[in-house]
Amino acid sequence: MAYNVAVDVGGTFTDVLVFNEETGELTEGKVLSTPEDPSRGVVTGIESVCEKVGIGFTDLHLLFHGTTVVTNMILTNTGSRVGLLTTKGHEQVLLLARAWTPGPLYGWMALQKPDPPADPTDTIGVAERIGADGSVLLELDEDGVREAVKTLVERGVESVAIGFLNSYVNPAHERRAREILRELYPDLSVSISADIGQEYGEYERTLTTVVNTAVQPRTMLYMRNFESSMDEKRFGGRLSIVRSDGGAMSTQAVADRPIQIALSGPSGGVTGSAYLAREIGVPDVLTFDMGGTSTDVSLCLGGETPVRRDIQLGYFHFKSPAVDVHSVGAGGGSIAFLSASGALQVGPASAGADPGPAAYGRGGEAPTVTDANVVLHRIPPGVALGGTLELDEEAARRAVSTVAEGLGMGVEEAAEAILEIVNENMHAALRVVSVERGHDPREFGLVAFGGAGPMHANALGRLIRSRSVIVPPTPGVMSAFGFLSSDIQNEFPETYLRNAEDTPASELKETVEGLISQANEWLDGEGVSEANKRFDLYADCRYYLQNIQIPCRFELDELAGEDSTFLRARFEEAHRQRYNFELPDSPLEIATVRVVGRGTIKGVSLVESENGAGEESAVLRTEQVYFNGAWRETPIYDRGLLRPDHAVEGPAVVVQDDTTTVIEPGYKGAVDRFGNILIEEA
Amino acid sequence: MVLHEREQGLPDFVREHDIDHVTLDIIENALKNIRHEMDRVLVTTAVSPVIREQADEFPLIADRQGRMVVGQFGSPVDTVLEHSPYSVEDLKDGDVIALNDPYMMEGSTSHLPDILLVRPIFYDGEHIGYALQWGNLMDVGGSTAGSIPIDARSIYEEGVRMPPVKLYDAGRLNEEVLRFFCHNSRTPRETRADVMAIAAGTAAGAQRVKDICDRFGKDTYLEACDALLDRTRTSIIGLIHQLIPEGQTFEFEDYTDDDGLGNGPIKLKLSMWREGDILHLDWTGTDAQVPGPVNFLLNHRMFQMFAGVFLISAVDPTILFNDGYSDVIKVNIPEGSVLRPEEPAPLSNRLVVMARLFDVLGAVYAKAIGFNVSGSYGTSPNFVYSGVKKDGEPFQTMEILYGGIPAIPGKDGLDGHSWWPEFLAVPAEYMETYYPMIVAEYSARKDSCGAGQFRGGCGIKKVYRFLTDGRITYQDDRHHTFPYGVAGGKPGAASRKTLVREGGEEVELPSKVRDVPVFEGDRLVFETAGAGGVGDPLEREPEAVARDVRWGLVSAEAAADEYGVVLDGGAVDAAATEARREELKGARGELPGFDHGPLPPLEEQRRVVAETRRAFNEWLSGELGAQRTNGRR
Repeated sequence: MAYNVAVDVGGTFTDVLVFNEETGELTEGKVLSTPEDPSRGVVTGIESVCEKVGIGFTDLHLLFHGTTVVTNMILTNTGSRVGLLTTKGHEQVLLLARAWTPGPLYGWMALQKPDPPADPTDTIGVAERIGADGSVLLELDEDGVREAVKTLVERGVESVAIGFLNSYVNPAHERRAREILRELYPDLSVSISADIGQEYGEYERTLTTVVNTAVQPRTMLYMRNFESSMDEKRFGGRLSIVRSDGGAMSTQAVADRPIQIALSGPSGGVTGSAYLAREIGVPDVLTFDMGGTSTDVSLCLGGETPVRRDIQLGYFHFKSPAVDVHSVGAGGGSIAFLSASGALQVGPASAGADPGPAAYGRGGEAPTVTDANVVLHRIPPGVALGGTLELDEEAARRAVSTVAEGLGMGVEEAAEAILEIVNENMHAALRVVSVERGHDPREFGLVAFGGAGPMHANALGRLIRSRSVIVPPTPGVMSAFGFLSSDIQNEFPETYLRNAEDTPASELKETVEGLISQANEWLDGEGVSEANKRFDLYADCRYYLQNIQIPCRFELDELAGEDSTFLRARFEEAHRQRYNFELPDSPLEIATVRVVGRGTIKGVSLVESENGAGEESAVLRTEQVYFNGAWRETPIYDRGLLRPDHAVEGPAVVVQDDTTTVIEPGYKGAVDRFGNILIEEA
Repeated sequence: MVLHEREQGLPDFVREHDIDHVTLDIIENALKNIRHEMDRVLVTTAVSPVIREQADEFPLIADRQGRMVVGQFGSPVDTVLEHSPYSVEDLKDGDVIALNDPYMMEGSTSHLPDILLVRPIFYDGEHIGYALQWGNLMDVGGSTAGSIPIDARSIYEEGVRMPPVKLYDAGRLNEEVLRFFCHNSRTPRETRADVMAIAAGTAAGAQRVKDICDRFGKDTYLEACDALLDRTRTSIIGLIHQLIPEGQTFEFEDYTDDDGLGNGPIKLKLSMWREGDILHLDWTGTDAQVPGPVNFLLNHRMFQMFAGVFLISAVDPTILFNDGYSDVIKVNIPEGSVLRPEEPAPLSNRLVVMARLFDVLGAVYAKAIGFNVSGSYGTSPNFVYSGVKKDGEPFQTMEILYGGIPAIPGKDGLDGHSWWPEFLAVPAEYMETYYPMIVAEYSARKDSCGAGQFRGGCGIKKVYRFLTDGRITYQDDRHHTFPYGVAGGKPGAASRKTLVREGGEEVELPSKVRDVPVFEGDRLVFETAGAGGVGDPLEREPEAVARDVRWGLVSAEAAADEYGVVLDGGAVDAAATEARREELKGARGELPGFDHGPLPPLEEQRRVVAETRRAFNEWLSGELGAQRTNGRR
C-alpha cells in the first residue's frame, strides 16, 4: 500500500496529513513546532500520524514539506552575512531603497525602516557597465572584482551577492565576476542577480538576490539535516519542498533558490482550494484563510491557483513568484479598541499567540476577536481549542467590557460589534481580489479554512454575496492538503519589452522555445517523466509605458503571423474587465514572456464517502448562542458524525478538533459527498 | 459665498445622528477602502512615470454639498461649480467635470500639470455626492517640456488651461475636448492615457459609493456622511484643546530661495493661536507675490486639512481626515501674497513654496506643542530631460527626486527618501530602457545630513549622462538657504547642480533652470538638500556616528568636527572622543532653538540671488548663441 504525506510547519503547530492512495482516506495530526530545529517537529509529527495509521516511514511514497525556515530568517534578519558587489556608483541601492514612505501625509514619521539586508559596509562598487540594450559600455574591471572580494572575505562575509545594472538583459559581467570569485574562493557561496530576477528594477532585483544569498547557507543546512533524518527513518520516497507559488521542487532546487520558498506555507491553502474547487465542480472560488493575526484571501478562476510575481515580507518587497494572496491584519487575535474619535477599530494589532486572547488565560487583557466569539458562544462553552486549551469565558467578558463601556453598549452587543467590524475588514480584502478586479463575487464559491475561517465564513459569504460557502473536511490543515495536490513546478521568465505590433511571431516563438527548453531541462533534473510534463506559455502585456502586466496565455501554434497582435484581443478583454476602458491608439507592449513548466505527481485524490449515517444524530447538545442581538437555543454538532445526507439548519455550531463552523440563522449547511459543508441561504 | 467660510452658526451636520455606531464604523471603513481602490486603479493603468512609478495623484469622496468625507487634501467641489457654467441641478449621472486651471478651483490643485476630475455620484436618480481624483500629467504644453517654465511671468506661458468642462456628458466621452486638450501637450498619447486612467479611478469610487447605498440604503449613507464629518470635527476640537495652549501666539518664518527670475529670498510667515474651540492660522507677514512662477495659490480648505492632519498624525492616525473641521480651524491668507497671488500670476513652480509651507507649519506646531517635531526637509525637485532620440522619436522624461527626511526626536531622518506619502524613486533601469540616458551614480550625498543627536537624512547625488542632444529643466530650492535644524541640531546641506560638459568644463547651475541645452556625453550632477538634525550633535551616540562613517554618509572629518567623535581605524576612540567633545563644548556658545545655517544679512542674500540669476542668464545666452552658430558644441 502507498501513502503520501504533507507536513506544514507553522509558528505554533506542525500539521501533518497522510493520504492513503488506495482508500482515499486522510488522516491528520498536529504536534507542537520546534522552532530551534523545525525538522524535529516534522519527524515527530510524521511519526505520530504514521502510528495512528499503522504504517512506517518506508510505506511513504511522496512527502511534501512546507517550511517557514526562510520566512523566519527574513523577518528576523538572521541569515548569513552577505557581501554585495554592485555597479560602481550604485553601492547604496539598498539603503536608498526606492525612497518610499508610507501614507498619509507625515506618514514618514512612523516608518521604522530596517537596515539593508547587506550592510553598506559590506557593499563594494565595481567598475563595469552594461547598457539597457545589453551592450557593454564599460568592460568589467576584473582586478577590481578580485580586490573587492578579498576585502569582503577579510571583513568576514559568509557569502556574496552580485547585482550589476541591466544584468537582466546581459548577464555576462555578473557571470564573469562569479567565475573570478569561484577561482579565488571555491567554497564561497555566490549568487548573481540575473539568475534571480529577469525584470528591470535594480532595487528589487538586488534585494531579492541579497536575501536569497543570506538565507542560502542555513536553508541548505536545514535541507541536509532534514534529508538525513528522513534517511535515518529509511524514508525512500520522493521528497518535495513546497514553493511560494504553490508548486513543489526538490531540495537540490531549493538550494539554488531558497527565496522561492519564502511563502511556502500560505500557498498550500490556495492550491488546495483550487484543487477542491476543480474536483467538486465549482471551479471559480474565493479563498478565505483566517488565522490568529491575519487573513489571506485570493481568487481562483477555472480551478487555477493565481500567481503573482512579487511578494512582501515585512518592509521588504521581493521579486519572486508566489500565490497571489491578499493579506489583511485581521485574525482571531486582532485587538479591538476605540480611536480618539470614538470609532471602533479592530486590528491590525494582535495579541498573537502569547499572551494571546484574554480567553486563553495567559495574562492577555486586550479584547480580541476570539474573545468576542467566546462571549457570544460562537466557540461554545466546554470546547477546548486544539482539543487541549480550555477557554476562560469570564476573562473574555472582562476584556470585551472595556470597549463595551466606551461604546455605551452591553457586553454581548459590543462583542457582536467587534465581529461586525473585523468581518468588514475581511470583506474589504475579499473585494480587493474580486470586485476591484472586475469579478462578480456572486459567481464564486467561498472556500473557508484556517483556525478561525469557518467561524466567520457564513458572515463573509453573506457580506460578499458569494454562491455558497464551502468548509472542507479538514479546514485546520488545509495547507497540508494543498501540498498533496501540488505539481513539480517552476517558472522561466524573460523581460521582453517589445511592441506586439513590431514583433514577428517567429521571433517571439524563438524566445518561447528557448524558455521551454530551460523548463524542460529543469523538469528532467527533477526526474519528471515525459508523459507528465506540461508547459504553460504566457506573454505578460500592457499598453506601452503602463505599470501593469496582464498575463495573456497562448499556445505555441498561435505563433505564426507577421506580428504578435493576436495577443491584443486577449489583453484588452482583461483590461476592460478590470478597468473599464481601452486605449486603441496605444501600442501593446509585451513586457515579459514566461514559461511555466509543470510535472504532475498526483499526491491526493478526492474520494466520495458513503451516504448517510442512518439514524445517528450528529447533535451533541444545545447551548445558548448569541445571534443578531439575542441569545438563541442552538444545537452543537460533531463534525466527525456528519455524513453526506445530513442537513444542518442555522443557527448551529459545528465543532471539530481544530476549528468551529458557525451557521447563522436563516442559513443551512448541507454535507456533500466529499464531506464538505456547503452553507447557503435557507 | 463659499460653503466652508460660513461665519456664524454651527455646520448643518453638527447634531444628533440617526445611525447606529457599528454601521457608521463600517461605512467609515468602506470609505477609506474606496480611496485606496481609486489609488490602485490609477497607479496601475496610468502611463506617465510620475503617476505610474511615483504615485503623484490623490483621490477623495465628497458628500452632496461637496465636502470631503474621505481623502487627504480637502474638497474643491463648491469652488469648481462656482467657476463653471453648471449648477448642481445641471449635473447628470455619468458626467465628469475636468479642469486644470488652479484659479478656477481656488488652488485646490495648484499648477496646470495637475488635472482634476469631478464625478457627481447618483443613486436611484438622486445626487448623493462626488468622487474626485487628480493626477500629475507629464506635459500640458506651455513654453517648456513638462510645463514648469521656471521663468514664466504669467500663467498663459505655463500651458493649456482647461476651465471646468464636461469631459463626460451622461457617460459619453467628450472626444473633441479631450483631443483639443491633448493636442496642446508634448506627450499627447500619455496625456490621453492618464486622463482616461484618472476617469477610471473616479468611476471606481462612484461605483463603490453606490455599493454602500445598495447595502445600507441611501439615507443611511447620507446620514453617515454627516455623522463622519461631525465625528472628525469633535475629535479635532478635542485635539486643539489638548495640544494648543490658549493666550499665546506662536510664530515662525523661513525662506524660499528665489522665484526663478532673480527675486528672493521669499519669506513665509505663519502665526498660530487658539481662541476657545477655534485654532487660528494667519499668514500675515508673508512676502507679496513674486513675478516668477513659485507663487503657491493656497486653498483655504487644503491648508485647514494640512493643519488638521498634522494634529491627527501626531496623536491618533486612525481618525478619519475630512472637511468636518473647516469651521474650527480659521485661516487667513493675505490677498496678493505669494500664497494668494492675483490671476494671472504664474504658478507652475509652486512646489518650492509648498515645501517651505510644510516646514513653517511644522515649526509653529513644534513651538506650540512644546516638543521639537522635526528638522526641515531637504528638497523634492522635478527634473525633465527632453529632445529627439537618434531614431527620430521625440522623448521627454519627468522624474521627482528626493532629499533627506528630517530627524525627529528619537529617530534619525531617512537618507534620500520621499517626504510625500507613497511616492517612489524611478529605477535607473527604467529610465535607461525608455530614455536616452545613463544613470551613472545614485547615492546618498556624504555630509549633507544636518548633524544632531538625531541626524537629518542625507540628500542624494544622482549623476546623469546624456546619450543624445536635448534640453534639461528642473525646479529645486534650498540653494541659497538651508533646511534648518532644531534644539541644537544643525541644518542640512544646501542643494547643488553641476553640469559637466563632455570636454570637462564644469558649470554650477542655479536651483531652477529651464531648457538648458545639453549634448551627447554631457553629465549633470544633481545633488538635493539634506535635512535638518534634532538635538545636540555632541550628545549623539558615538557608535551611531562610527556607523555613519562606515556607511559613507558622514566623513571622518565631519565626525570629529561636528560630532566630536574621533575614530581610530573605523572604531570609536572613546578617550579622544571625550576630549574632543569637551573641547568643542568649551568653544561654542549657546545652542539656538532653530539653526538656519550661515546666512548673510537679507540684503546681501537678495544681491546674491539676483547676481546668480544674472550670471546664469548671461551664460545661458552664450550657450544658446553658440548652439545656433555651431550646431553642436
